[in-house]
Amino acid sequence: MIMDHHHNTLSDRLTFPEDNRIATGFFAAGILGVVLSLIGMFINTEQFFYSYLTSFTFIASLVLGALFFVMVQHVTRSSWSVVLRRIPETISYQLIWLGLLFIPILFGMEFLYEWTRPERIATDELTRHKLPYLNTPFFIIRNVIYFAVWAALGYWLYKNSIAMDRSGDREIDRRQRIISAPGLLIFAYTVAFASFDWMMSMDSHWFSTMFGVYFFSMSFQAILAVVVVLVLYLFRKGLLTNTINKAHMHDLGALLFGFTVFYAYIAFSQFLLIYYANIPEETLWYYYRFEGSWVFLAYLFLIGRFVIPFVLLIGKKAKTNYRLLMGVSVWIIILQFLEMFWIVMPILHQGSISIHWLDITLLLAFFGISAGLFFRQFAKHSMIPKNDPLLAESLNKH
Amino acid sequence: MSTKDKPFGVLAEFDNPADLMDAAAAVNKAGYKHFDTYSPFPIHGMDDAMGLKPSRLGWIVLAHGIIGLLGGIALQVWSMDLAYPHIISGKPNLNFPAFVPVAFALVILLSAFGAFFGLFKMNRLPKLHNPLFNSDRITKATDDGFFICIEAADPIFSEKQVTAFLKEIGATHTETIPE
Repeated sequence: MIMDHHHNTLSDRLTFPEDNRIATGFFAAGILGVVLSLIGMFINTEQFFYSYLTSFTFIASLVLGALFFVMVQHVTRSSWSVVLRRIPETISYQLIWLGLLFIPILFGMEFLYEWTRPERIATDELTRHKLPYLNTPFFIIRNVIYFAVWAALGYWLYKNSIAMDRSGDREIDRRQRIISAPGLLIFAYTVAFASFDWMMSMDSHWFSTMFGVYFFSMSFQAILAVVVVLVLYLFRKGLLTNTINKAHMHDLGALLFGFTVFYAYIAFSQFLLIYYANIPEETLWYYYRFEGSWVFLAYLFLIGRFVIPFVLLIGKKAKTNYRLLMGVSVWIIILQFLEMFWIVMPILHQGSISIHWLDITLLLAFFGISAGLFFRQFAKHSMIPKNDPLLAESLNKH
Repeated sequence: MSTKDKPFGVLAEFDNPADLMDAAAAVNKAGYKHFDTYSPFPIHGMDDAMGLKPSRLGWIVLAHGIIGLLGGIALQVWSMDLAYPHIISGKPNLNFPAFVPVAFALVILLSAFGAFFGLFKMNRLPKLHNPLFNSDRITKATDDGFFICIEAADPIFSEKQVTAFLKEIGATHTETIPE
């Protein structure tokens, strides 16, 4: 590493402007969404819980993706990502709130999960066989464990990073790695099982051992898109323009490209095995999701979430074309929501796509509040880990 | 070793990576095209300093990948639907989801061939003799030496001028390498 050559040092302002009203704006939108959704809950309770689960899994996937991103950077001691690490750190800090947002789902379990309904248990032998795992108390215990683990990881990693801003203590950097290495292992299991519990168990007969990886691959592709959007938003505000350079964006773009392929690989592999084996209890899940107009969404994911980003991002120059990166990233985030919608909703609305206004108000509620919390937290501390031992190397990335 | 014959080029040694990078930028700015740098490890930013254009390798790999994709699909359409139409586990003959793994594997295989042989060709391999090894010093490039060699193939090459120029931009040692 040539450190004496064109040595870059921090020259940007490091705090998010306080007069920025974006957090307030998001909170206002979020509260509007909450109020409308609460009205909707009394009008159509079943629809409310399905829409709630859709938006919850959408936000949860982003927040979990961010936690994974942070832990991977620590374990690999990545220098390139130091300048933009505070963004996913702040997002994964939100895992603390995510646990609270899960609680309403517990009140809608009879609508969402057929294995909780006594008449289903009485008449269906296979569901009875799965009762030792699929039962309400164990479901609650598991979810308490998931959120406790994730919240602790997100909280520690964020707080340590902030502490390092103040003290510059290198011991903290070592501690981050000590948390992240087992953290990744625990993350793999908890996220896989959480995806089984939240979404796969909605059809108590269906199972796919790839479902956890499928959920993860979507989440990680989507969080990379979110980080791209946030960095480009900061650029537009004139923030960190001398701190995060084209080389960082190129690497983010390359990761987004790579995990676009990974997503396609996993999503298609899950489909192909089930398609080829053609066993009714497995194919039924896809049957409902290919039925009627739902199949358009399936093709949209194939074309829109793989083919288009793949072709657009394959070139080296494309990865530093900010307009293109922004467009592709926003598109992927929208498709992430639609894919959650496609996983959850065909159970309620068989045969054709049906968008209820509650889908939109609950998305508004979840997205508004999460984005508001993000920007409120982001403005409290430095926008980059300013005393990270690898910061100088990151600033001088080519 | 005689230097009366047409030389291969002039080799100059520099003290450290930073000097080498400055020198490479200066050589590039002076308009030389046929030159290369030698160092024990990759130096970030050297491509820019030398004014190297982005590699064409990506295009070679892309072309091979597309051939693999089309070839893989053509192979399966021909064999499964035209040459040997058999019904297998109740699926249609043109069973595109099932074609994906083979097409995918052929994309990977041909891309890897493209990358490997493309790189081989672009690095001018196999090369049985490299005139640089006429110098004793060049072996330092695998240890602690940082070198630039401006080659005689360059249109504006002149042994005297090049030697003087390299000394001027900070070379600690220069020598003419015979062909």
